[in-house]
Amino acid sequence: MIKAVMMMNTQGKPRLAKFYDYMPVEKQQELIRGVFSVLCSRPENVSNFLEIESLFGPDSRLVYKHYATLYFVLVFDGSENELAMLDLIQVLVETLDKCFSNVCELDIVFNYSKMHAVLDEIVFGGQVLETSSAEVMKAVEEISKLEAASNSISLVPKSVSGWRGR
Amino acid sequence: MTGMRGLSVFISDVRNCQNKEAERLRVDKELGNIRTCFKNEKVLTPYKKKKYVWKMLYIHMLGYDVDFGHMEAVSLISAPKYPEKQVGYIVTSCLLNENHDFLKLAINTVRNDIIGRNETFQCLALTLVGNIGGRDFAESLAPDVQKLLISSSCRPLVRKKAALCLLRLFRKNPDAVNVDGWADRMAQLLDERDLGVLTSSTSLLVALVSNNHEAYSSCLPKCVKILERLARNQDVPQEYTYYGIPSPWLQVKAMRALQYFPTIEDPSTRKALFEVLQRILMGTDVVKNVNKNNASHAVLFEALSLVMHLDAEKEMMSQCVALLGKFISVREPNIRYLGLENMTRMLMVTDVQDIIKKHQSQIITSLKDPDISIRRRALDLLYGMCDVSNAKDIVEELLQYLSTAEFSMREELSLKAAILAEKFAPDLSWYVDVILQLIDKAGDFVSDDIWFRVVQFVTNNEDLQPYAASKAREYLDKIAIHETMVKGLLKSDHWSLSQVSAYILGEYGHLLARQPGCSASELFSILHEKLPTVSTPTIPILLSTYAKLLMHTQPPDPELQKKIWAVFKKYESCIDVEIQQRAVEYFELSKKGPAFMDVLAEMPKFPERQSSLIKKAEYVEDTADQSAIKLRAQQQPSNALVLADPQPVNGAPPPLKVPILSGSTDPESVARSVSHPNGTLSNIDPPTPSPDLLSDLLGPLAIEAPPGAVSNEQHGPVGVEGVSDEVDGSAIVPVEEQTNTVELLGNIAERFHALCLKDSGVLYEDPHIQIGIKAEWRGHHGRLVLFMGNKNTSPLTSVQALILPPAHLRLDLSPVPDTIPPRAQVQSPLEVMNIRPSRDVAVLDFSYKFGTNVVSAKLRIPATLNKFLQPLQLTSEEFFPQWRALSGPPLKLQEVVRGVRPLALPEMANLFNSFHVTICPGLDPNPNNLVASTTFYSESTGAMLCLARIETDPADRTQLRMTVGSGDPTLTFELKEFIKEQLITIPMGSRALVPAAGSAPSPAPPVAQPPSPAALADDPGAMLAGLL
Repeated sequence: MIKAVMMMNTQGKPRLAKFYDYMPVEKQQELIRGVFSVLCSRPENVSNFLEIESLFGPDSRLVYKHYATLYFVLVFDGSENELAMLDLIQVLVETLDKCFSNVCELDIVFNYSKMHAVLDEIVFGGQVLETSSAEVMKAVEEISKLEAASNSISLVPKSVSGWRGR
Repeated sequence: MTGMRGLSVFISDVRNCQNKEAERLRVDKELGNIRTCFKNEKVLTPYKKKKYVWKMLYIHMLGYDVDFGHMEAVSLISAPKYPEKQVGYIVTSCLLNENHDFLKLAINTVRNDIIGRNETFQCLALTLVGNIGGRDFAESLAPDVQKLLISSSCRPLVRKKAALCLLRLFRKNPDAVNVDGWADRMAQLLDERDLGVLTSSTSLLVALVSNNHEAYSSCLPKCVKILERLARNQDVPQEYTYYGIPSPWLQVKAMRALQYFPTIEDPSTRKALFEVLQRILMGTDVVKNVNKNNASHAVLFEALSLVMHLDAEKEMMSQCVALLGKFISVREPNIRYLGLENMTRMLMVTDVQDIIKKHQSQIITSLKDPDISIRRRALDLLYGMCDVSNAKDIVEELLQYLSTAEFSMREELSLKAAILAEKFAPDLSWYVDVILQLIDKAGDFVSDDIWFRVVQFVTNNEDLQPYAASKAREYLDKIAIHETMVKGLLKSDHWSLSQVSAYILGEYGHLLARQPGCSASELFSILHEKLPTVSTPTIPILLSTYAKLLMHTQPPDPELQKKIWAVFKKYESCIDVEIQQRAVEYFELSKKGPAFMDVLAEMPKFPERQSSLIKKAEYVEDTADQSAIKLRAQQQPSNALVLADPQPVNGAPPPLKVPILSGSTDPESVARSVSHPNGTLSNIDPPTPSPDLLSDLLGPLAIEAPPGAVSNEQHGPVGVEGVSDEVDGSAIVPVEEQTNTVELLGNIAERFHALCLKDSGVLYEDPHIQIGIKAEWRGHHGRLVLFMGNKNTSPLTSVQALILPPAHLRLDLSPVPDTIPPRAQVQSPLEVMNIRPSRDVAVLDFSYKFGTNVVSAKLRIPATLNKFLQPLQLTSEEFFPQWRALSGPPLKLQEVVRGVRPLALPEMANLFNSFHVTICPGLDPNPNNLVASTTFYSESTGAMLCLARIETDPADRTQLRMTVGSGDPTLTFELKEFIKEQLITIPMGSRALVPAAGSAPSPAPPVAQPPSPAALADDPGAMLAGLL
């Protein structure tokens, strides 16, 4: 089972965090900080695996990927295959890339609600829901259409980052 | 999702905050704003509500507690329009936990969405239920979710979510989801064409099979079919082909599911599967594209696991080892990592150890990998593959690595090296060399038990004593060198070394007397030089050493005596009580002449006992989580104890892996934080219970008490087992007295009572075997694992374990192997199901042969009534209607109980809470009364609420009136009797709460219990937070 999905930037600011077992907010922060403090000291060209039993308890594993200014992190237990989890991060990133065409940190920051919708189409209750980014896109686009239909005035389009100027 | 200007502005403001303080101010302002708006319902449009709720979630992610507005979030679920509904669902699932009261309010809406026609609403509702997965949801929604999954009219999008939703509900509440007859449905689901639905269904299968593989045997060939379909790339649409590989996730999941079936009987299925596996093993190459590599190797490593599980022919196994050998030397670090990890698992397969040994030099190279994750895997593997033939090489490599290893690994490394040296030492002097080197190199990272153990070894082996003494003398010179070179470091770096050297020289220094530079006065002066630099815990040891040196000097040397007395005099007024006491006592003793000789005579031999180091390693293994594969692997007798990941003893926190890596710019603070755990360990106060450590070496009475004397008192013959206690007559199962020739360690009845209140610990121990138990309880199901560890260096044979179940429990004990190999541990899972309420207990009839000696024991299994209780705290609004509804006998019974062991009210409340009957404070207006509630689970009653009220008499604490009620007459009666028993005989576990009042029959001397896993785990996260 996947225990948590986290995205944070290279300064340690959380951009998205979802825990599939309920955890109080202080504990969540503690874990995010703990994971970041290990991640930021990892050199390049090492494996994508980390020992984190001291943080998450026995039988927990962590894979991460580092893209530009962001870390994508999955924490899971022994019932999942490590490399398959790494692939799942890739699927998530490829999907975001399709959503925002060339995704960057700002897209993720300002489309907080959309990020949740995308993640919910890939990981569901700690299990892998969908692995085809094409299928995920279909589902997400369907949601967008529904929103647009019931929300006649769209106040801020996708290019929010351009609109704010930073 | 789109179009929330307010949210974007807020996010942008937060980003622009220069520092944390500014951010907090901005967030507080926003929270105040939201709070005000929520209060003013009239102006709150659904759009605004939605915006604010998103902001709340964002603030929550930033780490601020959002303790209001939950109602607003939940209320959005019933909004008619999609965007509001969506926010409601997403935010609710992130903010609320499964027991939150608001969720109960939402159940109806959620259910309407699930059974309604709108597919997008169905998806939202399923996602919420799947992410939260609470009991209320399971009970009221599982059948609807099941319907969706098998409905032919639903789109794949809905069905795959239904599958995973069902999985989550089942995992969290297996008793609340009815999956009877699902085997056929599952088999049908596995024929699905849509790969999305198929992936989810396979995940569901894994959950169901791990629970009960027999029922789903019809799914086994289907999994093989799926694998064949993917391997041949038949009917795999483009969107499910990932970097050219047909859905690697589904391949992995299908192979994972197959690992939950114990074996594959049908020859044609087996053949088909092996063809696929062979193709995967041979057809995977390391390529340039990282993603393709990852995906193909995900499949490959899963195939390797499956091959190991299936006990393939030796040829295929060697092929696998060869592959792994290739992997551990490739460039791609992920594959090196997994190669090492899988090779470690491979050690459990018989007959391949020798092939693995061929890769030893490559594995040793990995110990120098730039990636700490890989170095750890290499260490685990070396530890696992070490045996008599390669111990010297491996241990020497580990010692070498110790000088360069990062702090976070040193403790683990030194412990592993010490264990290997002890287990496989070709000769004893090598062992002493290794340990002294180890202590020298690892300094503070050596836990105290390592040096305790070497002292034990030397004491018990006379031949070794002169050698050890001369070695210790050498190291003292070396410390002197260090001192001049690195004066500052000496203090912290050589505590253990000074301690062990001083101890050994005190005991055996006189054996060196004829060598140059080793007379008593010379030894004294070299030791005394160190005294100003050593740590406080070392000083008492030095004082003992001086006393011993003085005693061994024959004929007496008045010069030396004067010097030593001067030291004793000086410390007579030391502020440290331990040092002061020793100084005073030694001074007085040394004036006594012959009596002095008797008291300070050489330490007697220690009774042979299992190495506390190895025990520690085993203990960690016990507490490790068990997946089906691990469990199966551990049942194989080989190498069982070498795979553990040791942790520090004495309840000290685990090695500080994380903070050290954090690139802290202040090396001193890192060093400080690291030295802390060891600093406390070497403290003289008897630390957390750990009876086997040689803590008596440091104890003030160490000299007077020969080590054997204390432990003997704890022994008692087998057969005075507590089953025959009068007070405990509830056990109906007949248990005869046994007469055995073996001495017990600890009292069985007390161990049983302790285990009634906690879920892991030792059930039985004698000089040959230790039986530990670990249990997990969920509803009316229980899963216990018996750990049987052979403490000897020869095997235990004819091992038999039979369960004598009482009528109300269904018990299923996995077969126990006939033989337990030397120093190995076998595990045997025991499934328990509670059919109806009863206080009877199950009995384990256990026997084994040691040599020609048959030992047998009948042990009560701690699957007592309270294990099927779940704590439940009620408010007065919940409690009183229920209480009144139970009108009287037989559902509500009242009794005046006399002869109660007197307890203060808070202590009684603790006692109740300890067996899961939760005290609801403040409900009863009379402060002398207690009101309590709990939920009982059994197959016949289901989950049933139980209520209790205790009225005590402050004037006479030995009597009370008790009223117990529930919806089932048997349950009421049994629970009442159970509580009564608890009040009359206070079980072991709660003894701490009861300062010896002493009216009850006095039990045998207390036996220190092994530390509970909870105490060991000691929340590393919390510690980390403290350091950051």
